Amino acid sequence: MELTANEKRLLAELGKHGSADASILADELSTDAAAVVQWAHLAAGRGLVQVNREVKEEYQLTEEGEAYARDGLPERQVVESIDGEIPMGELSRHPLAKVAIGWMRKNNWIVIDHGIARKAAAIPESPDEIALEKIAAGSMDLDDCGELKSRGLVTVHEQVRWIIEITPAGRNLLNAGIDLRSEAGTLTREQILSGSWRNEVLRRYSLATPPRRIYPGKPHPYRLILDEVRTLLLEMGFSEFSGNIVQSVFWNFDALFQPQDHPAREMQDTFYLEHTSELPDGWEKVRDMHEHGGETSSTGWGGAWDKTKAEGSVLRTHSTALSIQYLATHPEPPLKAFSLSRVYRRESIDPTHLAEFEQLEGIVMDEGVTFSHLLGFLKEFYHRMGFSDVRFRPAYFPYTEPSVEPEVWVDGLGWVELGGAGVFREEVTSPFGISYPVLAWGLGISRVAMLRLGLKDLRQLYKSDIDWIRNTPSYRRI
Amino acid sequence: MAIITLNYEYLERLTKTDRNTILKSLPMIGSDIERVEEDHADVEFFPDRTDLYSVEGVARAMRGFLGIETGLPHYHVAESGISFSVDPGLAGIRPVLGSAVIRNLRFDDASIESVMALQEALHWAIGRGRSKVAIGVHDLSTVKPPFRYIASPRDRQFVPLDYTESMTMDQILDEHPKGRAYAGIVEQFDRFPLIVDADDQVLSFPPIINGELTRVTSDTTDILLDVTGTDERAVQNTVAIICTAFAEAGGTIESVVIDGQKTPSLEPVERIIDSDECARLLGLPLTPELIVPLLERMRFGAEPLEGSKVRVTIPCYRADIMHDWDIFEDVAIAYGFDRFPATLPPTFTIGSEDPACRFIRIVSGVAIGLGYTEVMPFTLTNERVSYDQMQRPESESALKVLHPISIENTIIRTDLLPMLLEILQLNKHRELPQRIFTAGDVNDGTLTYQKMAIAAIHPSADFSEIYATVDVFLRELGAETLTIAPSDDPAFLPGRQGAVMNGSEKIGCFGELHPDAIVAFDLEHPVIGFEIDMRPFL
Repeated sequence: MELTANEKRLLAELGKHGSADASILADELSTDAAAVVQWAHLAAGRGLVQVNREVKEEYQLTEEGEAYARDGLPERQVVESIDGEIPMGELSRHPLAKVAIGWMRKNNWIVIDHGIARKAAAIPESPDEIALEKIAAGSMDLDDCGELKSRGLVTVHEQVRWIIEITPAGRNLLNAGIDLRSEAGTLTREQILSGSWRNEVLRRYSLATPPRRIYPGKPHPYRLILDEVRTLLLEMGFSEFSGNIVQSVFWNFDALFQPQDHPAREMQDTFYLEHTSELPDGWEKVRDMHEHGGETSSTGWGGAWDKTKAEGSVLRTHSTALSIQYLATHPEPPLKAFSLSRVYRRESIDPTHLAEFEQLEGIVMDEGVTFSHLLGFLKEFYHRMGFSDVRFRPAYFPYTEPSVEPEVWVDGLGWVELGGAGVFREEVTSPFGISYPVLAWGLGISRVAMLRLGLKDLRQLYKSDIDWIRNTPSYRRI
Repeated sequence: MAIITLNYEYLERLTKTDRNTILKSLPMIGSDIERVEEDHADVEFFPDRTDLYSVEGVARAMRGFLGIETGLPHYHVAESGISFSVDPGLAGIRPVLGSAVIRNLRFDDASIESVMALQEALHWAIGRGRSKVAIGVHDLSTVKPPFRYIASPRDRQFVPLDYTESMTMDQILDEHPKGRAYAGIVEQFDRFPLIVDADDQVLSFPPIINGELTRVTSDTTDILLDVTGTDERAVQNTVAIICTAFAEAGGTIESVVIDGQKTPSLEPVERIIDSDECARLLGLPLTPELIVPLLERMRFGAEPLEGSKVRVTIPCYRADIMHDWDIFEDVAIAYGFDRFPATLPPTFTIGSEDPACRFIRIVSGVAIGLGYTEVMPFTLTNERVSYDQMQRPESESALKVLHPISIENTIIRTDLLPMLLEILQLNKHRELPQRIFTAGDVNDGTLTYQKMAIAAIHPSADFSEIYATVDVFLRELGAETLTIAPSDDPAFLPGRQGAVMNGSEKIGCFGELHPDAIVAFDLEHPVIGFEIDMRPFL
């Protein structure tokens, strides 16, 4: 059994008394009673002492109580003034009558009949008088203090006493001898170099006492998820790209073959800017694609394509706006690339909808890649993300054909739709001289973060409670 | 997205199979089942498959997909002898008209509901909120052909649907709920579109409201369809979808002659596809013989030609088929997404990190080593946080969005330090010290680049601490050429701040935050901060 130094000191002191009040022990040990009680509880946990809590009521006379103890309670003073009987009218003129009459009647000292107060033959001491005398004499030894407390004549204090008693086990240990030398805490350079630590009593620390809670500097929990995805894609041989937040309507919509009257383009859903963008060389091919399908088997959307619409500027609504530009500047195969970037939607903000969030987008362009390869890649990607069950359903996106929606199995939620994918339409790739199939997939990575971190409100990712960051573990098994 | 209510009893009758078989297969042709109820299911279909926006259309597709009835559906169009004229005055207003007559209909609640829902869904998906296309369905027995589609004076009166009193068209725009909802499409014109019969009775005020006169009831058997709009292709596509849905419901379709032109045709369109190209796109070993039955399950007509060619006849309602690959996707759906081989692409490439992202990763390591915790604030912010509370003048390079959702999101951030102070404010009641950092995008005009910033709050935060911390960053980032210079940034206290210089260009700032800024962010202890442009490092 390893006692703390304080427990040892307590036990040694208690040995002299057998049983003692904590405040007395505190005086002897030059500390305060609270500390003694704390040490005693530790020692009690080992069966060496017994700690008893005693609660006693202490009475103290109020100023008014002191006066009555000297002069008698009002009912005593008044009853003494009555000689046989007295009309009530006269009695009530006594200065103490207001208080005294009720108590005299309660004590059966007087009887009131037809307006006459008649004094009883004998006037015995009332319980209040007995209690008052005792309290005045300094005795605390009463069962109760009668009505004195409610009459405001005494105040009652609870007095807690801690009585500490040594147990036979404690006595045995004490008799066997206790080393009372002071313990060494942190080692000094001197003690280490000289070897004098060998002669010290080294304090042994209790594991039962919880450690102080300290917080490290650390990456944001969401960053760890984003980095995991980045690492995964880099490992799979993808190159990372990034780009401007502000994009022309041309790159954000027209280059991706979204018709110019598509609802997603409306001010209601997209953040527009006043700025006008210059179109890249060769924009005419995009116009032709929209109007009649250019040189492909497409019919295009028909109607006239409006150049001024394409020259507007928006906050990118999807990272596909960056992907198509990356493809336009890297049209030669093979290519595998991804971006993890914020995208912007004009949504009213609530727990599951934000005006900005991260989107992951990956593209694979090579001779001979197929839709079947896309599914294979998606399966591999989601497996590596920790989702072992993946299935595919047909989907629709304006810039891919065929399009597919991967779903992953999440325990407790069932099949969860996680992102979209497809092969870029020829209408998208052809104007930029890209002559090989482009497999593309995108994923709202904040959805993954919500699942992983068990979040109910997406805003926690961006307007974070620092305690949430502090208390979210950095590592989890995949 | 359009959510279509599928009444089971009606769907089973039209599909000729049970509801469970249908519900199980629906997601595999491309839909999301939103709700499954006692007597119906609500299903979301994609915006390209407008032909599935009715129970009739879904039944037609499912009969094919489940192998109950495959191949091209044929729709016979008889002649009604009814004619329509279009007023040239509509040219700049709403010039396109499509029409048809449908007879022998027997409406019940389920089929009326389906037709009404189809109209609404098409108004949304093809009609762009009725501006591009609007649909009117009339009880033919109440009116007398020939019909005229005219540009009418705005004070013309008639009784609109759901009203008993006659109103002028101007009044309808002001008072009728539909008028108020769609006034924006026509109110700028001197004359309004109007459809009248031989006796000058009003059938419709497109795209706003029909007349009460031609209301369709459960007694209606013969219908006149009007589809008006601004785009010929969209109008004809809508006519085809509605007519074929009526035909599926048991109606017979008759043509109408519009200015000498017989319409609708409901004839399929032909495309010659190459099965080798389809096989290359999908990664399946497909021959014409294998493709034909798959196409037929998707309700195309298909016939092998010589070599790898296949003649595909596309039903008139499939306006989404713009390109051969649209047909290949249907081949993939018929084959079954759940049966597809999933193989990894053979493409070999070597990955590389984006230089800015690599820099962020490394600078974050330094900040974390110094005890700073990462935060990831929004990039949308406002002038109050970015400048007013920071005691700084508004930046001229701040890019304002045109229609912000709220006063909290009016600009793209130009600085990161205010975003950090805002996060300290949110965490005002959390244990001190707090040390936070962020690294990421900011905008200078339309140009996006990256910055890094740190901030700390605790009772003994002072200039010495931040100066020592900045020194660590500059050493760790190998910035030997950068220098420190005096600075007079109003965000910091005079004499307790510095600037990081790249030659003569200021690229960073640090110091003790000005007490006015501390109070503006509702904070109560000393705050130190540092912010730096990453571009010189990249």
